[in-house]
Amino acid sequence: MKQELTDLELINDVLTGNTGQFAVLVKRHQRFVFTLALRFAKNREDAEEIAQDCFVKAYKALGSFKQTAKFSTWLYTITYTTAMTFLRKKRLDTSSINNEETFLQLENHTSAYNANVYEQQNSHSFLNGAIKLLLPDDAAIITMFYKGEQSLEEIAEVLNMEANTVKVKLHRARQRLKEKLQFLLKDEVKELL
Amino acid sequence: MNLIEQQLWDYIDGNLTEAEQKDIELKIAANSDIKQQYEDLLSFNNTFNELEIDAPSMSFTRNIMERIELEPAPVALRTKVDTRIIFGITLFFVLPLLAIFGYVLSTTKFTMPEVSQYLTTNFNFQDYLTPATVYVFIGVDVILALIFMDYLLRKKLNAKL
Repeated sequence: MKQELTDLELINDVLTGNTGQFAVLVKRHQRFVFTLALRFAKNREDAEEIAQDCFVKAYKALGSFKQTAKFSTWLYTITYTTAMTFLRKKRLDTSSINNEETFLQLENHTSAYNANVYEQQNSHSFLNGAIKLLLPDDAAIITMFYKGEQSLEEIAEVLNMEANTVKVKLHRARQRLKEKLQFLLKDEVKELL
Repeated sequence: MNLIEQQLWDYIDGNLTEAEQKDIELKIAANSDIKQQYEDLLSFNNTFNELEIDAPSMSFTRNIMERIELEPAPVALRTKVDTRIIFGITLFFVLPLLAIFGYVLSTTKFTMPEVSQYLTTNFNFQDYLTPATVYVFIGVDVILALIFMDYLLRKKLNAKL
């Protein structure tokens, strides 16, 4: 059975001229990078553009990657910076759920769910719906922590913050996500959990 | 978020020391409210763990590979900067400097000049006391006096205010 190459082995292959191996790295990390980009861009087209830019940037800078850290952490740092630059450029509305306008949107959103739609949905779609209502930073921290296999220290490296700050932010983000879930599902949240 | 909730999250994440873990376990066992809160948070944590990640379009990898085809192949920085080149540059500068220094040392005659001829004990103050030096001295004194007066007047003014 052919053993799967590690990220570092693939990187060394690319650096020694076997550039085709970069496709394996892309396939391995594309879903997470895309999801992380989606936390900032909110629509698939923009998120895909951000994610593609990230991989191209990573390819160009691959020679400078210090192989002492995890490739994923380095890649997420690029993703975070690219997504932030994208946000600044597009001037997307990143206001929180506390904003009155967002409340209106949320009410419409929940009314749509009330129309017997959410009965057919599983817990994942509710969770994804709730995470979309979070601020991009909160959503990114939760995604990296739960799905990116990143420690608090690694997330701190990605966000260029202290690990303790990330810890506090993670606590707050979870609290907000919990509130959003409870708001979206009202009584159903207990059944869902 | 209250302290106990933060402690419960830390306990769930495994961020507590052994002593802190035991402490929170005792609290959970002793207090039914805390136990309920812990179970709720644990359920939320399990739900968060079920978070799904999205997938990009089917052509995602192909698009990236097409884009990077146009880019020069990346090379590890350590192979880009060969240490032999660094040593070569160092030698190029250091060797001529050492050669020049050696040449200067070998051709210099170390002799001590007679110092006493530059020293004299005859100092006539009258030679320096000219009308010009007196005017300069008085001028500097007047300027210093004006600065001092200005300082005093400002101080008084500030005290009144």
